[in-house]
Amino acid sequence: MSDAASPAQPARASALARIEGALPWIALGLVGLLLPLLGDSYIGVIAQRAYIYWILSAGLNLVVGYAGQIAIGWVAMLTIGAYTTAALTAGTATAPWHPYLALAAGGVVGALAGVVVGLPALRLRTFYFAMTTLGFATIVTQVALAWKDVTGGGVGTPGPVFPWPFEPGWGFYYFCFLLAAIATWMTANLAASRFGRALVAIRDAEVAAEASGIAKPKLLIAVFLFAGALGGVAGGLFASLQSYITPDAFTFEMSVLFFIAILIGGRGSILGPALGTIILTALPEFAAPLVQWSTFLYATLLLVIVLVIPGGIADLLDYKNRRPLKQHREIAPRPELLSRVLDTSSDRNVLSLSNIALHFGGVKAIDGLDLEIRSGQVHGLIGPNGSGKTTTLNVISGYYAPRTGQAQLNGTALPFDAPHARAAHRIARTFQTPRMIGGASVLDNVMIGGTTQGRGTFVESLLLLPRRHSDEAHLRDAAMLALQTVGLESLASVRADRLQHSELRFMEIARALMLRPAFLLLDEPAAGLSAEEIRRLGALIVAISRAGVGVLLVEHHADLIFDICDRVTVLNLGKVLAAGTPDEIRSHREVVNAYLGG
Amino acid sequence: MFASIVSYGLAVGAVYALIGITYNVMFSASRVFSFTAGMLGMLGGVLGALFIGKMGMPVIVGFVLVLACGAVLGLITEILTVRPVLKSIEQHLYVLSTLAFALMIQQLTAIEWSTEPQPFPRLIPIGPGWLDQQFWLPMLACAATILGLELLYRKTLIGRAFLAIAEDSYAARALGLPETRLRLASYALAGVIGALAGFTGAEMLLAFIGNQAILNFYGFVPVALGGMGSNRGAVVGGLALGLFQQAANYFFGGIFAAVAVFVVFIVVLLLRPEGLAGAASARRV
Amino acid sequence: MPTSAAEPLLEVRGLTAGYGKIGVLEGIDFRIDAGEIVALLGPNGAGKSTLLKAISGLLPRSGTIRFAGQDISRASPGDTVRAGLVHVVEGHRVFTQLNVIDNLMLAGYGLPRDRLSVQVEEALSFFPEIAEKRNDRAVTLSGGQQQMLAVAQGLVRRPRLLMLDEPSAGLSPVLVDRVLAAAARLRESGTAVLLVEQLIEKALKLADRVYALARGSIVLEARADEADLPNRLERAYFG
Repeated sequence: MSDAASPAQPARASALARIEGALPWIALGLVGLLLPLLGDSYIGVIAQRAYIYWILSAGLNLVVGYAGQIAIGWVAMLTIGAYTTAALTAGTATAPWHPYLALAAGGVVGALAGVVVGLPALRLRTFYFAMTTLGFATIVTQVALAWKDVTGGGVGTPGPVFPWPFEPGWGFYYFCFLLAAIATWMTANLAASRFGRALVAIRDAEVAAEASGIAKPKLLIAVFLFAGALGGVAGGLFASLQSYITPDAFTFEMSVLFFIAILIGGRGSILGPALGTIILTALPEFAAPLVQWSTFLYATLLLVIVLVIPGGIADLLDYKNRRPLKQHREIAPRPELLSRVLDTSSDRNVLSLSNIALHFGGVKAIDGLDLEIRSGQVHGLIGPNGSGKTTTLNVISGYYAPRTGQAQLNGTALPFDAPHARAAHRIARTFQTPRMIGGASVLDNVMIGGTTQGRGTFVESLLLLPRRHSDEAHLRDAAMLALQTVGLESLASVRADRLQHSELRFMEIARALMLRPAFLLLDEPAAGLSAEEIRRLGALIVAISRAGVGVLLVEHHADLIFDICDRVTVLNLGKVLAAGTPDEIRSHREVVNAYLGG
Repeated sequence: MFASIVSYGLAVGAVYALIGITYNVMFSASRVFSFTAGMLGMLGGVLGALFIGKMGMPVIVGFVLVLACGAVLGLITEILTVRPVLKSIEQHLYVLSTLAFALMIQQLTAIEWSTEPQPFPRLIPIGPGWLDQQFWLPMLACAATILGLELLYRKTLIGRAFLAIAEDSYAARALGLPETRLRLASYALAGVIGALAGFTGAEMLLAFIGNQAILNFYGFVPVALGGMGSNRGAVVGGLALGLFQQAANYFFGGIFAAVAVFVVFIVVLLLRPEGLAGAASARRV
Repeated sequence: MPTSAAEPLLEVRGLTAGYGKIGVLEGIDFRIDAGEIVALLGPNGAGKSTLLKAISGLLPRSGTIRFAGQDISRASPGDTVRAGLVHVVEGHRVFTQLNVIDNLMLAGYGLPRDRLSVQVEEALSFFPEIAEKRNDRAVTLSGGQQQMLAVAQGLVRRPRLLMLDEPSAGLSPVLVDRVLAAAARLRESGTAVLLVEQLIEKALKLADRVYALARGSIVLEARADEADLPNRLERAYFG
């Protein structure tokens, strides 16, 4: 990174920021460690409950706050973990287990339940998923009531008692504290890794996540496993804290508490939800008249948050992003850096579509289309509205499966209906409406594009093993370089939703460049840009193609198309109306009628 | 035994079907599934027991008052929890706003009424046995609702306006249809239907705040399986669910019944997310 | 308020509109007089549909819009429709589950019952082909018939200005002529038409005046019979 903007200063700033970010945690940890000195066992019990709730919420936070899956019945994990631990320790189903082993089993069963509840999220719409988690919670309670031999039914069953070193009292207190600290540490590690960013990308920009090669099912299952395990462990601890558990102990209101703590704290934050959990757990204890009204107040709070500040409290406190940005910003791409961004091996690639036909209902969107994109060329795709331009792009990037026809890369067929598999073939794209994570920095948004290039696993990220560190460093450098190339490096730390529309277009190109693409599909990149910006965009696109990338450019700006394209295909009603060099197309009478006519 | 399974199953099924229709009526007007459906069902029972049982109102007065309360709650739902988040519907904030409102009402009921199941007064002294009103009232209510909705949709212009908004709200707005007022009317109508479900089912299910979550889930199952927006699907699905639940309960016990419903629900949705009767829609990028 | 002879039927000044952050239209000025047909042309993505939506209130906008002496700059779609300005949106979006008559009745929602049925028949008289299918559900109509139904919906309220967005899209040439002929008949009855059209020659033949829109601004205004118009249009598009 020789000519990158001086690395020393950002490094110091980020070190400062890291210390600043750690301060609240150090304070919380000290309070937790020293709390027993008060010798007040009542406060101790409240604190233990807060720790236990947080162990569950820490995992749920990844599901709700990061991945954006509205799992409202997560109390079921607590129930399952509690009954598993209690029943195994008491030996109602098997020979009695050692309590610590039983707790671990609670975690395992919780993890499995997490996946069972989570699976529908892979296919179902938001409300359906919310409803399945609610249904699961209802059914777990009904089973707990009905399965009397093991759970004691409505009468209940005693909770486990942990022996030394974490015996009831302050020993158990430190056990809960320790596990809460570990849960926090692991979720924080994950959140700040490429997996954490990918989760947020699934939440806020799902199609862009897929185009960047993020496989939603795999990632979500890993998160559901982890969050379920934390919920199960929390359940085992909860059973011990309660010393006797009945199905009544696991009300839906608890789910609401977990959920609201996360939303109050803010989506995509860890400290916020942690504070939210502590406050919501402790508040009713210190304001006795509130106890009866607590759930009502939580629900009211939830409504107010959703209507007034959907981003949660963390959004309100995000003072760094309230500093005004420079008013008249200029995007100055540096195409000369492309040689370091792209693979400039002299491979010649051909991406071809043959005889593609695709229908939506009775409407023919594409009707027998042939198209060929070659390395080093800019291929323009124009046509009237509804002529199938974007649909063609979506076929190439794997979102639609055509009824007939094939897409081939260097003669090998590309599968359809698998958009996330395109990244492996180094086919990158941008979108007509920029898809971004509004609440994340521009740099984070660009790093999304390189998610598949990390080598460390999910577990390595959780445990902060060395490969996670090298992945992160590599991704950050590459993203910075991509931002310099498109001319946005000065905005790297700014929240993406503060950018102007034109800047978002260039940010999307930077994200696409992270794949070191062999092919780049651009969907109306010039829409909403000023004349000067279009000129710079054109120069950048040409430079990208000259570096060996095959570019497909879907565009309405005829002047841009005729300026920079090597070949142009004109679509009309899903068919190729004309194809040739820009000069041939300009003089094509039928084209002028169909395309320029109206 | 068979008669009791069938009559009880059909009666519970009719309540599920009505809650399913409640979901549908709100969904058609706004593309929003609202957690207030179960709340309306719960309140129909609680308010009925309050007005008629506790306060001793005449049955008919209490009944009309319950339906009126349902309508008002429907209006509040639309104004407070749906309209503000409708602009950014893709963020699905309505899931949270309607859930929050439903919980507020549930907690208010818990504090002001009771957290324990309370008996619902007998309205018409026929029975006991399979002729008992607790069985045929919900079925009657379900039949009347379906008939009423069919008349509304087929015979009146306002009913067709509901259908128009359900199919293409943008085109409806362009034609100058009063979309906001029609949506309000739909929510009021849904409120009435939900309260009717709770009122007629309450002798069987009791006046109990716990019914909210149960009705929310079991009322949604027929909607999900029958295809959203389809009232016929909701009725068939609701009755089938009621019968299945009762039969499974009797022959295999409660654990099996509960788990089986959940498993069927998940498996069907995973295989056909659009429901058994719904049509697949192309995904737009 | 009576309209004075000098005042245009529709007058738009400084209109700016877009979708969220994406600005599409910037400072649009134009006018339409009573009883004239105006064609709005321009390349794709120029903002023609956006302009119609901004006028009818389907999109948020800023600037002034006066129609028939009223200020409708902040009017909702319902208000503009009742004021006599009807927008037939692109893509023949009729209600497929309802029959033809019901589709038309809804277009006059709120009118007194007897007047409504008279005006529905009147609108149907423009299109004998769909009048025959009055009791069929719209889903059974062909694309061209659906487009006729959409235009007929626009006629039910006897508008003073009808805005048609690409009425010819996806239609065969014969059907295009029939739909456009309806616009010509409307002019005879004193209704103004704002026509967004892909088929430039047909539009020019029909229209009295032409505006061209490119890159979100009006780049050309001309009478439709002026010489050399196609070439001037092309130059205007390329800027």
